[in-house]
Amino acid sequence: MKDARTVEPDVELIASLMAAGGADLKKCMQCSNCTCVCSLSTPEDDFPRRQILHAQWGLKDRLLTDVSPWLCHYCGDCTEHCPRQANPGEAMMALRRYLTGQYDWTGLSLLMYRSEAWAIGVLLAVSLVVVLLFTVPANFGFGLLSQAGPAARATVMLDKFAPKEIVHIGDTLLASLLGVLLLTNAARMFRIATRDTHIPLGVYLRHLPGFVVQGVTQKRWRECDAGDSFKNWLRHLILVTGYATIFLLVVVFLPWFQVQDHSFHWNSLLGYYASAALLGASAWMIGDRMAQSGEMHRFSQPSDWMFPGLLFVTALTGVLLNVCRLLDQAMPTYVLYVVHLAVAVPMLVVEVPFGKWAHLLYRPLAIYIAAVKKSALQTQ
Amino acid sequence: MSAKLGVYLCTGCTIGESIDAAKLAKVAGSECHAAVCRTHEALCGDEGRKLIAADLAAGTVDTVVVAACSPRFKPEEFNFNHGTVVERVNLREHVAWCHKPQDEDTQMLAEDYLRMGVARALKTEAPKPLEAEVSKSVLVVGGGVTGITAAIEAAEAGYDVFLVEKDDHLGGRAAQLYKADGIQASVAAVLHHPRIQVFTAAQIGKIEGQPGMFDVTLDAAGGPQTVRAGAIVVATGWAPYDASRLAHLGYGSSPKVVTSVEFEQMAAKGAIQAKRVLFVQCAGSRDADHLPYCSSTCCMTTLAQTAYVHEADPEAEAYVIYKDMRTPGQYERVYRETQAHPLNFFTKGEVASVSPGADGRLAVTVNHTLLGETIVLHVDLVVLATGMVPNGMDQILNLTYRQGPELPVLQDGFPDSHFVCFPYETRRTGIYAAGAARAPMDGNQARQDAAGAAMKAIQSVELAARGRAVAPRAGDLSYPSFFLQRCTQCKRCTEECPFGALDEDAKGTPKPNLYRCRRCGICMGACPERIVSFHNYSVEMIASMIKAIEVPEEDEEKPRVLALLCENDAYPALDLAGIERRQYDPSVRVIPLRCLGSLNIVWIADALSRGIDGVILVGCKYGDDYQCHFTKGSELAQKRLENVKETLGRLQLEPERLQLTQLAINEWDKVPALFDDFVNRMRELGPNPYKGF
Repeated sequence: MKDARTVEPDVELIASLMAAGGADLKKCMQCSNCTCVCSLSTPEDDFPRRQILHAQWGLKDRLLTDVSPWLCHYCGDCTEHCPRQANPGEAMMALRRYLTGQYDWTGLSLLMYRSEAWAIGVLLAVSLVVVLLFTVPANFGFGLLSQAGPAARATVMLDKFAPKEIVHIGDTLLASLLGVLLLTNAARMFRIATRDTHIPLGVYLRHLPGFVVQGVTQKRWRECDAGDSFKNWLRHLILVTGYATIFLLVVVFLPWFQVQDHSFHWNSLLGYYASAALLGASAWMIGDRMAQSGEMHRFSQPSDWMFPGLLFVTALTGVLLNVCRLLDQAMPTYVLYVVHLAVAVPMLVVEVPFGKWAHLLYRPLAIYIAAVKKSALQTQ
Repeated sequence: MSAKLGVYLCTGCTIGESIDAAKLAKVAGSECHAAVCRTHEALCGDEGRKLIAADLAAGTVDTVVVAACSPRFKPEEFNFNHGTVVERVNLREHVAWCHKPQDEDTQMLAEDYLRMGVARALKTEAPKPLEAEVSKSVLVVGGGVTGITAAIEAAEAGYDVFLVEKDDHLGGRAAQLYKADGIQASVAAVLHHPRIQVFTAAQIGKIEGQPGMFDVTLDAAGGPQTVRAGAIVVATGWAPYDASRLAHLGYGSSPKVVTSVEFEQMAAKGAIQAKRVLFVQCAGSRDADHLPYCSSTCCMTTLAQTAYVHEADPEAEAYVIYKDMRTPGQYERVYRETQAHPLNFFTKGEVASVSPGADGRLAVTVNHTLLGETIVLHVDLVVLATGMVPNGMDQILNLTYRQGPELPVLQDGFPDSHFVCFPYETRRTGIYAAGAARAPMDGNQARQDAAGAAMKAIQSVELAARGRAVAPRAGDLSYPSFFLQRCTQCKRCTEECPFGALDEDAKGTPKPNLYRCRRCGICMGACPERIVSFHNYSVEMIASMIKAIEVPEEDEEKPRVLALLCENDAYPALDLAGIERRQYDPSVRVIPLRCLGSLNIVWIADALSRGIDGVILVGCKYGDDYQCHFTKGSELAQKRLENVKETLGRLQLEPERLQLTQLAINEWDKVPALFDDFVNRMRELGPNPYKGF
């Protein structure tokens, strides 16, 4: 048998997928109802049936090179139509959690997915670092404030507490670090997923514009014909515009964005938009999860709560911070500044390269990889 | 003694609007010499029935012809005192409802049917029942779950039971299961039942006789002894398919390839030592080279056995390679539960080879998997889920029948005589198969099957005690008589009887065993000397009905076709066509036969020599999936017809004037076209040249 392949199921992989949300995946009898009802599944990427079979059999190499889990937006039609209650939608979610862990070369992601204690520990550790940064040094944070004299305690003078030049350097460093981690993980994903296919350079270039468009708009999501998908897509888009705006304001335009005193500044309008978008969208998502509305929100792992939860608290502390500043409540403003960062920074550190937020890159990248693979196979 | 004939015409159900009853009454009087002829608008009502009863009571009538609806309807309404001959003429379904009303041809048809019915009535005698001393005991062969259940069921219903088991203990395969399902309680119940006599370590030396009087010689520990039983339940169970024929699955070449029966024994001994066990479903089943059928139990067996794998080692893996998982009904729940185990792996596929692999393991190559490619699995043990082969078709019953000592079997080796209509019936009257000997099944089904077969055995002895036939002519009192002085010892009857009712003496003269008889009349059709007849069914009777048909002169251009219809499917099919008001050519004259196998070729000669233009026979489907109620009647009729066709040529008659068509009852809608086409072909052939001779 020249194409015969020895199959060695990875029993631990099966157990970890079952623990990560795919508890029912063994119940699948391969009828393929799920794939037939899915409007995003194609003959080339016939998910979720194939992925569930590979998961049932613990076929690690097959699952690792497969980007199809990222092509699913979890409308839940598959789960609704599953005659065996194998919950294919949640199995795909489990695979995304698993893949996120596998792409990450540091191993932190895997640790945090497997153990809540690890996830909370890392969050708290980063929070502590932030708090220490504002309390220990003599020329930054509360140290700097104590040198500034009573005026800075009576009225808001942020440059006497967290000078924007220093903060700007800090957030640029953080963004660079997280960016490097995310990009290296994405590069690993890219290398693993394309290792079995020869793809000519021309094909890569041809599909590059599509990558950008998908990344910005999640256009492909609109092809999902499930009932809730427009609502979910729009909400997601609002959220994306919110954090894209705040990212630009904080990382690139901080010197303009951070107002030193309690005055109103026209730059803040964009910040207000971002705050409203983040607060509204994340509250809405949390609400749906609490109400378990629709298949997408029926099953929630700790990681599913953490991301919108932290986002909401970040946005909320940001808004409170701004309110205190406008009311010229100097000390509350400074304290909230620290609290705001003590939530936002750990969230970013955990979520961007290691957690759920990484899908902002993985998903368009998967669409891109699927497209170039298909193209390459066709040209062959 | 000449019969005092009473003809009763019903004009209800539109019969009166369709035909001229007065003219018909004239035929009854002038031609049929009826002593009484009465017309009523609803003969089946109280008033109509009282009309007939009054004539019978007054003694003016002793033979009744009721010209009304099909004899398939209202049998009780027209059942007068026993001993009274009642003949039915079907004016409703076969005349009024399917032919043009107030038409010359319709009227001729009705008149012919009346003449034929009268002819039949005059040749009918009231049957006298058989009256022999009959045993009502039941012999159960086999002491497994089926036999035990059948014995208990029959005994609880009040019948004495002899239970014969070849092993020295009861329980059969159910007792050998790793997790036996309470079989020991049933064994104890059998052993202590006052009506059940158990013979273990016993075999049947021979069985002589017939239902109601089977003399069974048992070879048991204390020497041979004879018991008398009225009916027999064969519950001999099954054997696993011979795995030595499954060399392609590795059986025989490695001790690590076992059958599911062997695996069950390993489990019982606690001898399972394997990290990976692979189950091959349909091993030698649903396979043209081995067992063509599904044994229906192997999927469930395997699902249960995967649990033994995990029980022996919680880290062990179980692989199941299937063609289809067949777990009907509630069994699907077991499949679901088994599938959900993280260490069970299922895939559709075809095992291509089992060969020695690395580390002393077996390398199993599987084609056409759900994974989309050929895969190789390295395992410690391969379990072949082999199918069931019926036991008991060889050297079990040792019947002293002329046709052989065992139960005849169908294509797959099972002894059922008729899958669709008559479960448990074998081709040996009074002997019923049950459990896995009858069809593949599991213990739960076997218990129900055993109850069914026990019930059939009870029916059999009770009907025998009343001198009546069993299914399909259940309750029939008639039986064949043989005028042996004229027998030429041709042995056709003894060979052709589908139920082995006829034994032979040394010269070849038939020795009828009437309690084995199903009353189909196949012997009557077979006999070239016409020495076989029933009180109410004979060669002469049908011949006289054929003679009663008026055949118009050639210049009238009215063809006549004789249709001989099987009573079981074809005749009711024609009734259905009438009920649905389907119209067809009125040239056809229908005579029902008990079975097409009772066709005596002399009738064909009679019909054609009288100028009838063609004869069409309609009977049940034959072949491997036959539907004949007497297993091969229509097939025999076809053979006889082929012989007749050869002689037709010598008489300058076209062989197309004879036709046999196979018809199932659900094809009733095809009958009108069948008749029309045949009549049209006769018109094309031109009139029978023997008209008017």
